Amino acid sequence: MEKLSSQQIAQLRRHLIQHGSDDALLIELVDHLACEVEHYMWIGLPFETAIDKALLEANPEAVAYLKETYNQELALSNEPLEAASLDDIVFEFRNKSYGAYHMRQVYQSSLRNALLAGVGIFLMIIGLMAGMRQGAWTYFSPWGIMWLVGLSSLTFSVVSWYIQRMRHQYSMPEEAV
Amino acid sequence: MESSTNEFLRGVLKTIVLKLLAERGPMYGYEITQSVKERTKGEIILTFGALYPVLHKLEQDGLLLTESVEVDGRLRKYYSVTSRGSEAAIQKASDFERFVEAVRALLQPMPNLALGQ
Repeated sequence: MEKLSSQQIAQLRRHLIQHGSDDALLIELVDHLACEVEHYMWIGLPFETAIDKALLEANPEAVAYLKETYNQELALSNEPLEAASLDDIVFEFRNKSYGAYHMRQVYQSSLRNALLAGVGIFLMIIGLMAGMRQGAWTYFSPWGIMWLVGLSSLTFSVVSWYIQRMRHQYSMPEEAV
Repeated sequence: MESSTNEFLRGVLKTIVLKLLAERGPMYGYEITQSVKERTKGEIILTFGALYPVLHKLEQDGLLLTESVEVDGRLRKYYSVTSRGSEAAIQKASDFERFVEAVRALLQPMPNLALGQ
């Protein structure tokens, strides 16, 4: 039985990618079409005719139909759908490890951390400058307290940001494989 | 014939795939389409557009297991049934059998009614 060369397989793969085949299905479709081409070659057709015949079956409509049935079959069923957030729904069938999904998920806490850090730095600068103008620095003046509040707010946001970052890093390895 | 076959096929595709894999052991996608074509003498032709979504769905439901093997410089994914999958195959096949019986009863002309007149 005739076997396809790696260039010929690459040609099939290019065709499928051009016609919008999904990543999840690409490997299997390449194998499927390659088997078909090999079958046509086995019954005596030259490679060019065989590949044309196979690609005719893998036309854009067929690939689109495949994509549609695939999404229908594997769409979130009722139970996970109730637990899913809007992000999960938007990012279904999309690349989650790229980064946008994570950014959306931590958006609330990132916003809070940034706000706390900003307010904290502002309070610290004002407190410090006003305190220094008075000559003698003491923590028990209103400016001193202002500086302390700013410092704790900044510390809180930095620690919280760091914890979030660590948590994300340690949840990554499964995606990195 | 062609379009109504496709219409009927949609409902029994899972049953066919499960039963076939339970009987024959690990198979890959193209092999499944060829085997179905052979056994039905060309009456039922599975397109890849119908087959692969069902295979992935059954895998997601834990009824099938996959194993990727490199063959002739490309990856080939073999599907086999899990223990739950073979139970489901038996269950679905007998359910479908009963359904076919019921439909047959509906499609037959009703001699009793004619006699009753």
